[in-house]
Amino acid sequence: MQLDFSARELTIKLVYYGPALSGKTTNLQALHDASAPDATGRLMTLETKDDRTLFFDLLPLVFQGTHGLSVRIKVFTVPGQVIHASTRRLVLQGADGVAFIGDSRESETDANAESFRDLRENLKQNGLNLKQMPLVIQFNKRDLPGVRTEDEIADLAAQGREPVYLGVATKGEGVVDTFVGLLHSTWQALDLKHELTKKFGFQTGPFFEEVLSKFGRNERIKDVLTRRVGGAREAAR
Amino acid sequence: MTDLPPANTLDRLTMEGGFTLEELVNRATLVELCAGVAELFSVPLRLFNGSGALVVDTHPSPRLHQYFGTQSGGRRILRDIVESVKALNPTSGMAISAVCPSSSRFLVAPVIYDTRRLARCVLGPFVPSELEQVPPALFQIDPGLEAGRLTELWRELPRMTDANANACVRHLTKTLELVLFSGHRALLASNMHLASTQESYRELEEKNANLSLAYERLKELDRLKSNFLATVSHELRTPLTSIIGYSEMLSAGIAGELTTEQLDFVNTIHEKGEQLLELIKGLLDLTKLESGTLNVRMSEVDMTALLEDVVATLTPTARRKEVELTASSEPGLLPVWGDAPRLRQVFVNLTENAVKFTPAGGSVRLTAAVVMELLEDDEDGPAVVLKGLKRPMVEVRVADTGIGIPPEERNKVFDAFYQVDSSSTREAGGTGLGLSIVRRLVDSHSGLVWIEGNQPNGTVFCVKLPCKKGSFSG
Repeated sequence: MQLDFSARELTIKLVYYGPALSGKTTNLQALHDASAPDATGRLMTLETKDDRTLFFDLLPLVFQGTHGLSVRIKVFTVPGQVIHASTRRLVLQGADGVAFIGDSRESETDANAESFRDLRENLKQNGLNLKQMPLVIQFNKRDLPGVRTEDEIADLAAQGREPVYLGVATKGEGVVDTFVGLLHSTWQALDLKHELTKKFGFQTGPFFEEVLSKFGRNERIKDVLTRRVGGAREAAR
Repeated sequence: MTDLPPANTLDRLTMEGGFTLEELVNRATLVELCAGVAELFSVPLRLFNGSGALVVDTHPSPRLHQYFGTQSGGRRILRDIVESVKALNPTSGMAISAVCPSSSRFLVAPVIYDTRRLARCVLGPFVPSELEQVPPALFQIDPGLEAGRLTELWRELPRMTDANANACVRHLTKTLELVLFSGHRALLASNMHLASTQESYRELEEKNANLSLAYERLKELDRLKSNFLATVSHELRTPLTSIIGYSEMLSAGIAGELTTEQLDFVNTIHEKGEQLLELIKGLLDLTKLESGTLNVRMSEVDMTALLEDVVATLTPTARRKEVELTASSEPGLLPVWGDAPRLRQVFVNLTENAVKFTPAGGSVRLTAAVVMELLEDDEDGPAVVLKGLKRPMVEVRVADTGIGIPPEERNKVFDAFYQVDSSSTREAGGTGLGLSIVRRLVDSHSGLVWIEGNQPNGTVFCVKLPCKKGSFSG
């Protein structure tokens, strides 16, 4: 997080993590497509010739905020391929929140688990603790055959701490919910740590209404939060 | 509340937007881009960077303004124009300055990238196209400025509608934004590349450090093992010598006549004692060779005689196994530069091995011949290769018709205690030290030892040994 007092501007860094080909870049593209032009900048991709992420993707978002404190959000993806470990570690530096994009297919369970271990290790190397990191999980590719059933995921999610969202990033489903859900968890953590509400008179409710409206959603943050699976313990915090 | 400082330039380049116009795009590109737009619309264009410095200026100031500069009233007008343009600093959209009595105007717009204003572009001066008459105010600037000349120069000023001027600036700022985006992308990619490489390098350094630490520890352990082996071998030899000596005396009847059965037992003790001594000697040799304390006394060695001696020594063993054992050397074989007893040990080991693994009816053949070897690693280096200097070496081949060694095992058999198939050892006997000693002895002679397959079956152990230095042939 960067806070520019003179410009009254807050910059938040969110990172989309996950195994190779789980749909991290697709999430960013869908998020870019869903947002109002005045809220989003150009989606920057640094990729190889076969469209695999080489370093990262970066989507900048800007919101008015409240009480003169504007909020800039930088959403990054990491390269999923195993060989890019050092790049993942660099991109994770200074992350305020992480969305873990997993593949719903049962065959990908090991890849998900391996990538999650990698996330924990890389956070540790950056001096960050996974337990204190705002985290949401997206089970992507719900439209493919061989996926875990929703009941199964709900059952598993109920035992975990993190909110879980279901998604089909290629169709844009669940993408905004995942993002807004992550932003909400991250905001709560940052607010708790830096007392943003108290210091700036920042109002969370109207801010999230603005965020949602920029994605064409006429709803409140609690509507988004009801669509998640599990994470009850997180919500109770 | 202050956060940690950014850990690297990537944070600066992505999180803070702490980059400048010139960092993202080089100046020449900006000049070319603006010149293109200015030429297309025939209007002067200036670009100022974030700190207000002039980066691009496509045209010299118009001749009308140069003429203003000749009189004090004109100079005052010029100052007003500069001040009013400077004062225009829109954060979004465009602003028009129109303070000049000539009715010429400037259009100012910010260049915004990633919500940061990186530059300001100034279009003009231009006169609105619809204006046909010279504005009367032009003639009241200074009495020193001549009306005819003013009119002439005023007509030179570029004409443009406000709508066109807006379109022009919009086009320029849009294009600039795209150029800045790709510049930013390239800057990030190169910085990321550098940072990733550094991070990988750091990681490798760490691994290397750990590896060399482990290597040092292993080397130390190896040294301890060698020391231990040397001490133990030495300590084992002393009592063993007594066992062999006393059993020899017993069997010689010094302590009285023995029954046939007793003699048989004592001889077995003696024979096994000798075997054990051989093994211990082998271990001692190996540890000496490993620690480099084995002395080799070099002299000219006649390989023909040496091989014949080896064959003579092992013929009884070969006969018992019904294996044919022969040696043949090329006539006029050059002598080898080496330590005769050690070389004898090499070939006894190899031949004994060959006989051991050759079934009855098979053969073991020792052949020696001179081969010319290109000189390498000499002081003269590659020049010697160019000159084609070769030195003679004697290649001895010990070929058997035994069970053979699979190609992938051929390098491992020279490791101490290594056996291709431990069951065959139990059958054929042996310590697993012989070949290891052979290789180390050959190494200490600057020679080479390797294994080839024999046709149709069996193994060829090849040893190449250098002849005496100076026995060169061109």
